[in-house]
Amino acid sequence: MSLWLQVIWVAAALNIVLLLGLSYVWGRNYTRFRSKHTLGLAAFGVVLLAENATALYLFYFNPDLSAWIAAQAPIAHRAIGALRLLELVAIGFLAWITWD
Amino acid sequence: MDGVLWYVLTGTRGGENRVRIIKALEERPRNANKLAEALDLDYTTVRHHLDVLCDNDVLRKQGGDYGAIYLPTDRARQHWDTVEQIMEKVE
Repeated sequence: MSLWLQVIWVAAALNIVLLLGLSYVWGRNYTRFRSKHTLGLAAFGVVLLAENATALYLFYFNPDLSAWIAAQAPIAHRAIGALRLLELVAIGFLAWITWD
Repeated sequence: MDGVLWYVLTGTRGGENRVRIIKALEERPRNANKLAEALDLDYTTVRHHLDVLCDNDVLRKQGGDYGAIYLPTDRARQHWDTVEQIMEKVE
């Protein structure tokens, strides 16, 4: 696995860790406040968590699909990885303000 | 302002304690020390929440540095129905 792919892999894993924390905070607040606002935040966290978990599985753990994508479309693989890194930056900022 | 209130009080980790702080200050403005005692919270935690609430123009500080008392801003009072709606959920 190239260094770039490892970086992307770590970014996806970090996204999952951060989203678990955010979903926990928002989910707990939803059980407390029962408001539309907190429900929206909690739902956002859970859906994005599912998205990252699916991506991690499809691109890195599913043996057939990850090998096929890496072999057939390496440029697309790298481009999608870059989007994952941008997502990490975005989620990082969200975690920073939510942890307050 | 409504968005700020929802976010600062229900979207963050410390939201619930911030609601308790606002509730206590609405009953009676007081300083950070008294607030920490009344709510059984750590003094530095209370100071942190007070700073966040002041930054977001929910509370304002009155008087000198150490003994300064905190109270809701006019802006927060204009949106007090939202604050009450949120406070209802916290005992």
